[in-house]
Amino acid sequence: MNNKIQQIVIVGGGSAGWLTAAILASQYAVNDEHGIQVTLIESSTVSPIGVGEGTWPSMRSTLEKIGLSETDFLIQCDASFKQGSKFIDWHHVNDGHYFHPFTFPVGMEQMDLAPYWLPHKQHISFADAVTPQGHLCQKHLAPKQISTAEYAYNANYGYHLDAGKFTQVLRQHCVEKLGITHIVDHIEHIKSHNNGDIATLITRNKQSIQGDLFIDCSGVHGLLIEQHFGIPLKNQKNILFNDSAWAVHVPYTDEQSPIASCTLSTAQTSGWVWDIGLPSRRGVGHTYSSAHITDEQAEQQLREYITPAIGATAAEQLACRKINFNPGYRQKFWHKNCVAVGMAAGFIEPLEASALVMIELAAQMICDQLPKTRSTMDVIAKHFNHKFSARWEQIIEFLKLHYVLSERKEEYWLENRCSSSIPQSLLELLELWQSNLPSRYDITDTDALFPAASYQYVLYGMGYSPAHQQHTLRHPKQRDAEVLFNQNMQQSKQLLAALPTNRELLNKIKQYGLPKL
Amino acid sequence: MAKNVLVNSIDHQDLKVITERSANFGDNLWYTLTFPSEFRSLQAYYPIFFQKDVNTGKFHALALFGFQNEENLFLKDGKWDAGYIPLTIARQPFSIGIHKVSEDGEEKMQRMLHIDLDNPRVNKSKGEALFLEHGGNTPYLDMMADMLEVIHHGMLDSQEFIESLIELELLEAFTADITLQDGSKYQMVGFYTINEEKLNELNGNVLESLNKKGYLQAIYMALASQANVSHLIKRKNATLSH
Repeated sequence: MNNKIQQIVIVGGGSAGWLTAAILASQYAVNDEHGIQVTLIESSTVSPIGVGEGTWPSMRSTLEKIGLSETDFLIQCDASFKQGSKFIDWHHVNDGHYFHPFTFPVGMEQMDLAPYWLPHKQHISFADAVTPQGHLCQKHLAPKQISTAEYAYNANYGYHLDAGKFTQVLRQHCVEKLGITHIVDHIEHIKSHNNGDIATLITRNKQSIQGDLFIDCSGVHGLLIEQHFGIPLKNQKNILFNDSAWAVHVPYTDEQSPIASCTLSTAQTSGWVWDIGLPSRRGVGHTYSSAHITDEQAEQQLREYITPAIGATAAEQLACRKINFNPGYRQKFWHKNCVAVGMAAGFIEPLEASALVMIELAAQMICDQLPKTRSTMDVIAKHFNHKFSARWEQIIEFLKLHYVLSERKEEYWLENRCSSSIPQSLLELLELWQSNLPSRYDITDTDALFPAASYQYVLYGMGYSPAHQQHTLRHPKQRDAEVLFNQNMQQSKQLLAALPTNRELLNKIKQYGLPKL
Repeated sequence: MAKNVLVNSIDHQDLKVITERSANFGDNLWYTLTFPSEFRSLQAYYPIFFQKDVNTGKFHALALFGFQNEENLFLKDGKWDAGYIPLTIARQPFSIGIHKVSEDGEEKMQRMLHIDLDNPRVNKSKGEALFLEHGGNTPYLDMMADMLEVIHHGMLDSQEFIESLIELELLEAFTADITLQDGSKYQMVGFYTINEEKLNELNGNVLESLNKKGYLQAIYMALASQANVSHLIKRKNATLSH
């Protein structure tokens, strides 16, 4: 039981496997006497499904940490800049939009501006009153300039990327720069220790791969966590109904067409359409509930969505790919000497693009808490399971929040507002918000994935305001609030004047690259 | 707008260039671009810093003349008050243009001397003539052509020099707060200089390879040039006491 943990075996070569490998190998010495060895095994017969084309701003520090040049990453992954999400038609049919930007409200450390914004809600949206980012997204502007250093910004950002290309770039970097052993082979058999830990993976080509810690990144199959250990998924379909998707690659009609700087999410009768702008194409998909609409109708709605951009004929001809999924997460992510990361850990509709950030967070915790010996692994596993169950619960609660304030009348939307489909924690919050404005006290986890500001953007974006009259303040901070609103206006103006479009900046990066400092 | 045309002895036989230094002739610049082989001459007078080009994000080296746009503290009574004028200033109104030429049936790119006919220095009565009476180049024109060759090669070398600096993490941003005699303040932002700590950590092999290219000298010249900031402040203070 006092064996050192040195041999780490990652099963699966999608973004989860390679990102986890890169995060581990960039933190610890590889092949040093007291370091670690990382082996990644992937089967040539299983092709990654390639979802998760949107990242959070956390990806910037992840890429920097693993030592990738941002210029190379942007060019090789056909990546562009993402500054948040724009939600269209979620409140009413054909009735406007709201932003969930990556920037925090101005002056957030100092005060909550919401009470001072509420009287003006008819004239300006909450996001526009407190951040420049919605203004920037409306004009398809980039979050930085060509003279801004790699990974630095004028406005906070993450990326839109081609997941297949991203995997290739990570693989090359892991193998060539980070000293990771790459094996392409099919796992046929698993040998266990007496205590039930995985000892060795036996492959089709009769290789034995020994390990101290096994990371299951094999995707929805859950090769180790489910098929070997039988840890089931906690199904969440009763809360988040979407279980199917149609995806399509949409070409630009002109090579100078604008590239959207946020993910567009447009509500449909029984789901919603994602629309992600890459430099070379758009990635568009319709995720929906198969209980509320047929696959054919859903495909038809997707084709109707892309028709205005490329015309009816082209929209009918593009090949759509069907994806089925089972929304949910594992009862346990870390079991014995095996931990599941990525889709092996769980999968939920791509609203708010949480897939890649959950991989980054899981890999980072495994990395920071890496057990030194087998004897401490169970405690770490317990903490990990606790933390990630809480994260999944929050993701589900926060995604559900997007649905519950809608006033759409279709069956799907009505059922989404049925209290039996809403988690208890969210019901309590909704009750609380009848009288109290949403606040940082509502988020009890100190290390929460979605901060209070995210709840504000969604709630105020969906037209929420408290039903009860608020207590009168002895010293209203009207003047302070006006200063902050003005500051945001000034900053918005400056950024609108100074920033190039996403397309202009990406073209320049191809020509000159971004400076390293 | 500049009107750059190829210099030729037929159209430009009578042209002259005024070499006086003043704001009227566009010398009221607060900095100009430079390159490593010029640092030695510059460091006696000007601070040498680095800055990013806003259109490309690429770094370039510059010699500083003032603290704000259009402020050249070296201009005085139609003269440039320093023993050395940076070549990218001295070369005005000439520039290099690249032309495709056909040589033995082969297309080649050739650098050719151009003049900006809209530059206020260019006239027909005063200053240095471009051509001799019977068509040959004047020594002045030959000097300008040589100068532009030096600038051309210097700029190419500068790119390599700066790439080495970035690679070795020798560039660092700095901000300087300057207070003048009358209490007015200037903040210098967006400039970069040599990181001395990193420089002192370089090992022998790296130093040797920098030295071979002449970059080590340029690095120390740039460091030494920082002392000129206080000379610039003196010049600035002197303008206040008038």
